[in-house]
Amino acid sequence: MSIAPPAREPAWPLSRSAIGLWVAEGVIESLVLAVGATAFLLFVPSTAGGPVPVLRWSIPVVVVLAAIVFVGVRPWLRFRVHRWEVTGDAVYTLTGWLTRTWTLVPVSRIQTVDVTRGVLQQLFGLASVAVLTASSQGTVRVPHLESDVAHRVADDLARRAEQVRDQAT
Amino acid sequence: MTGDVTGDVTSDVIGDVAVHPDAGSRRTSPRIVLVHTVTFRQARQFVPVLIPIGAATGFDGGTTAVVSLVLGITALSLLTAALTWWRFGYADGRSAVVVTRGLLARSVRTVPNDRIRGVEMEAPVLHRLFGLVRVRIDAAAGAVAGKDEELLIDGVTRAEGDRLRAAVLSDRRPTGAPGPTDHAEPVEEEFARFDNRWLLYAPLVGSYLAVPLAAVGALFRLTDELPESLKPHLVGPDLLDGRLLGLAAVAALLLLALGSVVGAAVVNWRFRLTRRGGSLIAVRGLITRRHTELEIDRIRGCTVAEGAGMRLVGATRVSALVTGLGDATRRGQLLPLGPRSEAWTLVRRLVADPGPLTRHPTTARRRRLMRAMSAGLLVTAAGLVLTPLAGWWELLVAGVLLTALGVPLGLGRYAALGHAAGPDSLAVRSGWLVREEAVLERRAVVGWQVRQSFFQRQAGLATVTACVGAGNGGYAALDMAADEVPAFATAASGPWAAALSRPAG
Repeated sequence: MSIAPPAREPAWPLSRSAIGLWVAEGVIESLVLAVGATAFLLFVPSTAGGPVPVLRWSIPVVVVLAAIVFVGVRPWLRFRVHRWEVTGDAVYTLTGWLTRTWTLVPVSRIQTVDVTRGVLQQLFGLASVAVLTASSQGTVRVPHLESDVAHRVADDLARRAEQVRDQAT
Repeated sequence: MTGDVTGDVTSDVIGDVAVHPDAGSRRTSPRIVLVHTVTFRQARQFVPVLIPIGAATGFDGGTTAVVSLVLGITALSLLTAALTWWRFGYADGRSAVVVTRGLLARSVRTVPNDRIRGVEMEAPVLHRLFGLVRVRIDAAAGAVAGKDEELLIDGVTRAEGDRLRAAVLSDRRPTGAPGPTDHAEPVEEEFARFDNRWLLYAPLVGSYLAVPLAAVGALFRLTDELPESLKPHLVGPDLLDGRLLGLAAVAALLLLALGSVVGAAVVNWRFRLTRRGGSLIAVRGLITRRHTELEIDRIRGCTVAEGAGMRLVGATRVSALVTGLGDATRRGQLLPLGPRSEAWTLVRRLVADPGPLTRHPTTARRRRLMRAMSAGLLVTAAGLVLTPLAGWWELLVAGVLLTALGVPLGLGRYAALGHAAGPDSLAVRSGWLVREEAVLERRAVVGWQVRQSFFQRQAGLATVTACVGAGNGGYAALDMAADEVPAFATAASGPWAAALSRPAG
């Protein structure tokens, strides 16, 4: 059963470098898991009873599978789902993978616009934009835009919000 | 853009009002020193220090020792109360309120008047004896939550409290947001008045039932800590006597009901909600009189909450959603307890009627039922496996019972679902244990969030949250038909929401 989504897709994809960033994140996560699995193999004696014999071969298998998903699958899936758009009077994003979230905030209700650049993001020349409103739930986050695009969008939104804002609450 | 102006600022932010922060041009009444001495308000923090000292010096429990200890603690309390009073000052200027305090490390807190969301005056018993009140000034609580967003001026005379409240709330009118009734003379109009018969609803309200239970808990702790010699030696009653047990249970239930009624009476005694000018004023309380003032212009909607027990007798509770007001559940109360008709009359006076609620599609009912029964089904499955293996038939029975209980729960949860969009307002309703309907003004919506999980996608449903800068930040229409989402959002907020459906252009 395939049914039309509750809202349309925003027009623009994220920067393609985001895939590289997500791959890098996946590699780091996989390494952490691998270190954990190695520690388990080294420090838990194979003679221990209970589920240990099963775990000794199942944990490495799970880690390898997770690494394949984190590095080879998830970045591309994420890239396909994440989209964003700034229309004439609103900011609109779609995020998520299994559970999808569409968020729409009118420019007139914007309170602050933040641009953040994490360490990894700086390596890939990316930046995230967060658009905050008076509501704790009404925050629009656009992750991983090219850094100059992010700054341009933030400046543009801040200026327009200043012009059209009413009470913003 | 909007910076966080509320906070500890060092000096003359208030600009045109020449108030030196250290001068603290006004002081609280010296009578507050006596109140604080008696309640050990400041001295309380020394207790953890004093106990080990007492233990170390070999406190032997003689009469002179007790008397000197009591005198010493009272003197200490008097001293700290006096010092606190001496170092506390406040000033209300034309554009800001400044509070200066701190014994050695001075703190100056400045709150611009246009950030003030409400003023609350409370008068606990001792304060009333001395003719004093405690004034809380609520400042805008943005993304930051917590107690930091308020100013507490403890111990001014009632007249000074009234003056302060009027000054703080009216000073910004010429520059701030204009209300429709600004220039009319302040006429009082009564919105709601507590009828003492409504106290009979209290035993069916969870929060009031908790009051006597907490008292019983405290009593048990006390008897645990009493020395053995002081406990009366009662012969345990014959527990096998069924009649005695029944009587005890009935007595306990009666006491519980009585306790909840008393608890409700203490909090809500002579509750009265009136409009004066552009503000709503709520006064209530038997022992501590509370006086809360909310600006009508900042009210974005109301919530009407009915617990499962309250629905049996048609009782409800109404709260206002006020932008930027922290701790809204306590301060935003418009009708703490009352019959449904009364509650809705009140809500309609504040927010336009969005029309009758639209039911959600039948797929939503299936989803609610599945979710309510899933725990029971899991237990049943486990029971089916374990009954032949280990003979755990109890598990199977429990699972079947849980599943059966899930059916009315799921149906009840589905029956609570609904949404409506009118020309000036919208409404969403959900919940079974506490069914809550939020009625919001159109302008309250600062954004939309649409969520669709994998299972909702299969069922053609979506959860739509109206993001609001008041209350708990968002009110959701659970499981509405996915294809109705853009139309509902546009009808309930404004043309900007059409971006959800309009193709990019």
